[in-house]
Amino acid sequence: MSQYKIALIGNPNVGKTSLFNKLTNLRQKVGNYPGVTVEKREGNIERNGNKFSITDLPGTYSIYPSSLDEEVVLKVLGDPSNKLYPDLAVVIGEPSNLKRSILLYLQVRDLGVPAIFVINMKDEIESKGLSIDLKKLESFLQTKIYLTNARTSEGLDELVEAFTKPTNLYSPKFVVPNDYLTAVANIKENFNLDSDYVAWQYLSQKTIPFLDEEQQVHLNKIKSELNIIPKRLQVKETLDRNKLLEEELQNIISYNFKEKETFTDKIDRTLIHPIFGYVIFLGILLLIFQAVYAWSAPLMTMVEDLFGWIDETAISLIPAGPINDIITGAVIPGIEGVVVFVPQIAILFLFISIMEETGYMSRVVFLMDRWLKPFGLSGKSVVPLVSGAACAIPAVMSARNIENDKERLLTILVTPFMTCSARLPIYIVLISLVIPDETFLGLSYQAIALFIMYLLGVVGALGSAVILNLIIKSKHKSFLIMEMPTYKLPDWKNVILNVWEKTLGFLVNAGKIIFAISIILWVLGTFGPGEQFNNAEEIVTANNPKMEEADLENEIASYKLEHSYLGKLGTFIEPVVEPLGYDWKMGIGLISSFAAREVFVGTMSTVYSLGEVDVEDNQEKNTLLDRMKSEINRNTGEPAYNLASGVSLLLFYAFAMQCMSTIAIVKKETNSWKWTLIQTGFMTGLAYVVAFIAYQILK
Amino acid sequence: MANLIKEHSLKDLKTGEVAEIIGFKDEEVPVKLYEMGFTPGTKLLVKNKAPFGGPICVSIVSNKSVLALRRSEADQILINKK
Repeated sequence: MSQYKIALIGNPNVGKTSLFNKLTNLRQKVGNYPGVTVEKREGNIERNGNKFSITDLPGTYSIYPSSLDEEVVLKVLGDPSNKLYPDLAVVIGEPSNLKRSILLYLQVRDLGVPAIFVINMKDEIESKGLSIDLKKLESFLQTKIYLTNARTSEGLDELVEAFTKPTNLYSPKFVVPNDYLTAVANIKENFNLDSDYVAWQYLSQKTIPFLDEEQQVHLNKIKSELNIIPKRLQVKETLDRNKLLEEELQNIISYNFKEKETFTDKIDRTLIHPIFGYVIFLGILLLIFQAVYAWSAPLMTMVEDLFGWIDETAISLIPAGPINDIITGAVIPGIEGVVVFVPQIAILFLFISIMEETGYMSRVVFLMDRWLKPFGLSGKSVVPLVSGAACAIPAVMSARNIENDKERLLTILVTPFMTCSARLPIYIVLISLVIPDETFLGLSYQAIALFIMYLLGVVGALGSAVILNLIIKSKHKSFLIMEMPTYKLPDWKNVILNVWEKTLGFLVNAGKIIFAISIILWVLGTFGPGEQFNNAEEIVTANNPKMEEADLENEIASYKLEHSYLGKLGTFIEPVVEPLGYDWKMGIGLISSFAAREVFVGTMSTVYSLGEVDVEDNQEKNTLLDRMKSEINRNTGEPAYNLASGVSLLLFYAFAMQCMSTIAIVKKETNSWKWTLIQTGFMTGLAYVVAFIAYQILK
Repeated sequence: MANLIKEHSLKDLKTGEVAEIIGFKDEEVPVKLYEMGFTPGTKLLVKNKAPFGGPICVSIVSNKSVLALRRSEADQILINKK
């Protein structure tokens, strides 16, 4: 039994992904194409005794790439020796924009790839008032045409049967323009090519990704000798093909619109209105915020309760000893630290998927592009930036929708500046410590301070975008020419699958790192060198003979932490954080915060020997606050948390990259350690400088 | 006379106006413009212009498909008002 390789190709918004999901019955693998971060979706199915491996290629309008995603299409289809080179390419179009899809189909066939043509969303042929002369279209395209409706599965069986049928003979539609006859002949001879169109590709593409270096040099030499400007050839070809299609399709497709204004036109009058459009978008943003904050809260509590129960059960089941300690003290809390983000991420991606599926996302891009362009970002950066206010991890993932490589990278690099929900508990604790609880014109200083912190996030993101914009060079020119798809009800299967994949991706990828770091932190905090650490119990008991048992336990924990490896580390970095106004205890808080910011509050309470503190519990919070207020910085002799050190600490947390999971996801999404490290260095460096200046001025 | 010589670009159109593409200011426009259907002879209706110099939303008269582009791109497209 042989395996057929099938590739799905099509313009964006033709329902290609829905069709892929239906064909593969959701049994699919998601990976990356070799060497790039472009997502590769593959599904293996068995039908009628045959095996098919179906690949969903990134959506594209032509084989001339204008984004990283689109380059993949050329790599796969242009090179018969590519592992993914299909036995059959299925080019998918939809009724309203057939001309555009046929243009792509003809390019694919002229390349010599066996292909068939599918018109998806076939119900729209009638509902949109179209009539298509299929017989004539089939003879023009030199293939049988399959009509499908991916949402209802209509036509899918016929399509699968076609996978094993030989394709019709095809005589190329491409005619070499007169001006380039000699050039094409030259390339055919030099590179031993039979096909005019393949030779034309050598001239019209900026680079041919599958040529080796020697061939590349050879080709570039010929191109410069012949004065070839690839873009001119692309334009010539596209215009020629459009002209041909305009003439041919005149007698094949006719439009009889029933109404002057379409359903989409009517909705757009409100949704992209110069005033109401922004009001509605703002409303939707608030709704998403509310959902990510409030709706996720009970789910997160459930996760915490579940893990609390698991932890207790494990404590009682596993005999006391090092194995028990490591499992209940590091492994379980480590996993919890990952799973606890799942509700927020799932809810966020639910909204984003719905916005994409309905077609609303393109409208948001339309509304916001003008406001983000001056920062080197695109309208499409809106989604990651807004999501960043909940959690940078899914936000960075959502930047995949940005086609331009530079705008995407910039967006990923600045998104972690946005004030994420993990910063909130720290802000609350620090603000109530150092900002007076008084009001000014009815506004509380503390609320104003919190608002300023949120504002700082936006300023940090946009400000650093301006700087990075000057440094980063783009391979592709930035432009915005996009389709505004018709409004549709979401395909729920796609939505659910999307949410599932993104959430799982986070769990596995970020999970590995959070997990590892929390174990390392635990080990560093639990073990220590020398007498003082090992005999902590005796020393503390001897020093505090009258202490009550609970207090004594906390005091021992604190003493142990001071003399653990983590404590040593805190003392070791003290000289570095001293200019910012911190002592070694705050240094420990900072170090542990590099795993995740929310660890700060927990570490502080351990350092100040208070046991577990729940910031949402007022009484417990106040105990921690009282303890922190009376704390004296041993370097300065002043209160450890005064206005100067407090503001310095707030600024440090606002700008520093202190989240292992974000670093992990940025590495995954950019596929570059260089940019990941630049980002971490840039953010943390900025945080250090700003905190330093603030402390030195205020102290 | 001056008016006849002055070239109109897509950017100059007001919401609701219809025009036919006659050409481009220079050859350096993104190929994507052509691929998306902004080719000479195409009739467009301006549906909406985002405020403060934001993108322009146009509808292609023949098939009613809706496209958006930045003003800098629209400025490259020469048109004949209908």
